[in-house]
Amino acid sequence: MRRRTLLSFALSWFFLASPLASEEEKKLQAVFIGRFASYVEWPDGRRERFVITLLDDNPFGNLLGELYHDKRINGKPVELRHARRLEEVGETDILFITVANFQARRAAIEYAQKNGILTISEIKGFAENGGIIQIDFVEQRVRIKINYDAAMKSGLKIGAPLLSIATVLRGEKP
Amino acid sequence: MFDRLSIRHKLAVLLGASAALALLISSAIAIYSTYVTETEDSLRTLHQTARILSENMRAALAFHDAESAGKILAALHSDPHMLLALVSDEHGQFLSAYRSQRLSDAQEKNLRQRLHTLRAQHFADLAREGGVVDLVEWDAMSVLQPIFFEGQRIGVLALAADVAPMWSKVRTFILMQVFSSAIALALLLYFSFRLQAIFTRPILELIAAMRKVAETKNYRLHLASRSRDEFDDLYRGFNAMLSEISDRDERLNALATTDALTGLFNRRLALETLQAMAKRAQRKGEHLGVIMLDIDFFKRVNDRYGHAVGDHVLKEVARVLRACTREVDFVARLGGEEFLVLCDNGTPAILEAMAERIRSSIAAHRIEYEAGRYVQVTVSLGLYSIAPGEQGDIGQWLVSADEALYRAKETGRNRFVIATKLPDKAGRDA
Repeated sequence: MRRRTLLSFALSWFFLASPLASEEEKKLQAVFIGRFASYVEWPDGRRERFVITLLDDNPFGNLLGELYHDKRINGKPVELRHARRLEEVGETDILFITVANFQARRAAIEYAQKNGILTISEIKGFAENGGIIQIDFVEQRVRIKINYDAAMKSGLKIGAPLLSIATVLRGEKP
Repeated sequence: MFDRLSIRHKLAVLLGASAALALLISSAIAIYSTYVTETEDSLRTLHQTARILSENMRAALAFHDAESAGKILAALHSDPHMLLALVSDEHGQFLSAYRSQRLSDAQEKNLRQRLHTLRAQHFADLAREGGVVDLVEWDAMSVLQPIFFEGQRIGVLALAADVAPMWSKVRTFILMQVFSSAIALALLLYFSFRLQAIFTRPILELIAAMRKVAETKNYRLHLASRSRDEFDDLYRGFNAMLSEISDRDERLNALATTDALTGLFNRRLALETLQAMAKRAQRKGEHLGVIMLDIDFFKRVNDRYGHAVGDHVLKEVARVLRACTREVDFVARLGGEEFLVLCDNGTPAILEAMAERIRSSIAAHRIEYEAGRYVQVTVSLGLYSIAPGEQGDIGQWLVSADEALYRAKETGRNRFVIATKLPDKAGRDA
């Protein structure tokens, strides 16, 4: 178990240390965040605004703001937040995680599961380690990986069209 | 050529031609209708495929997932008539494509070009949700379906399918139509040949009747029509025409055989009748009496009273002659003031009695030529009774009677003389 954790950590570090994704990829990621919401059903519509929170770094700069300032997701106006630490996250619908530290990321995932939050990340192994949606760019092609069990645990329903185009993990560890 | 055909063949040809024309028009309409229906059906199917694919394709397009898009398009393999499918994103960049194995490189290039042109032509239509564009060409039909996500167009799906199934159905329908039309035409021609008798029978009967009339000269023929249509009118007209000809024939015959002034038979008929009555008398072994009579001093009547009175006198003498003769006798005016009476079974005794009756009746008859003014005439008569088995001819008999008349004139007029034998024999005085 420990070896596996260490391996994951090492891999995460390796990828984070790799050159930053291109601007184009960032743009697509920014677009995808909103589009994922169209295929996900949250337990209830408790908030009047649709909140997207970036945890740790903000790799998008002003991209999200430009994209969503006049958009509505699921009929709600979009609110963007940026949290440096997990304690700052609060209530949110989507949590885009860039936390490099495995333990910290694990804690964020657990927090999200408890609070019905859709977690998204581009970190390798994110879905395998309890994250719900992982976005990969392989040779300029998009790969979406979804941890279905993790979504169920979070109380989220993911639409079949999204599942049909994604690599779906079932029975993996939470 | 057509003019040489008989009416029954013309009718059959006309019925056949009419039926063929009707079948041709109805077949053309049916074939066109089938083409339109089949085209709409094929296009509807292509639209349905495009809608389903678009729904499935939306997520792949939303996340620029070319691999998933390719997998979705790969399902088109199950449709052998699907030629080409292209999915492009919101920037017009191709995300994925499907190409039928039946499609050659040149065909694919051609189809891509046509789809590209169609897209360019309908750019505005494709920019709105539901703005589907289609095109039917002789070899393929195409549908362009814009794909929207959250109110924003994220791509366009272009489908092209061949129209072979549609043409196959149309061809099958044309063959069926040709086959059924041929059968229908054959049946119509058969029945038209059979039923044309309804129209031609009255005409043929009419022609037969005309030939019969021409041969027999029997204008009293009457045709009975079995229908109440225009042929009945034709038959009525034909019968009326025959009746009119018959009446005219009788009138002409009367004119040819009758003396216009007195209404008695004329000389020509008198000679013919004498011949016929002589033969009949010979056959029956009876006498035939010939009486020739002439009005005495008739020229004086004309000179004194004028020709009008003379004509009136002739008519009155004729009237008295008719009154004094029997139904079986024949009375004619030979010309001028000369008359002839042929007496059936005219024995000398009968002749004499009749001659005396005539003579006395005319002599006693006061002819009123003006109101209150009268003229009286007498006649001289020459008689000859042809005995049964007697040899001789019309000329001799008439000469005998005429010689007897001459003697009656010579011996004082207003009397009759009967010739006893042949012309050279003299008759006795009355």
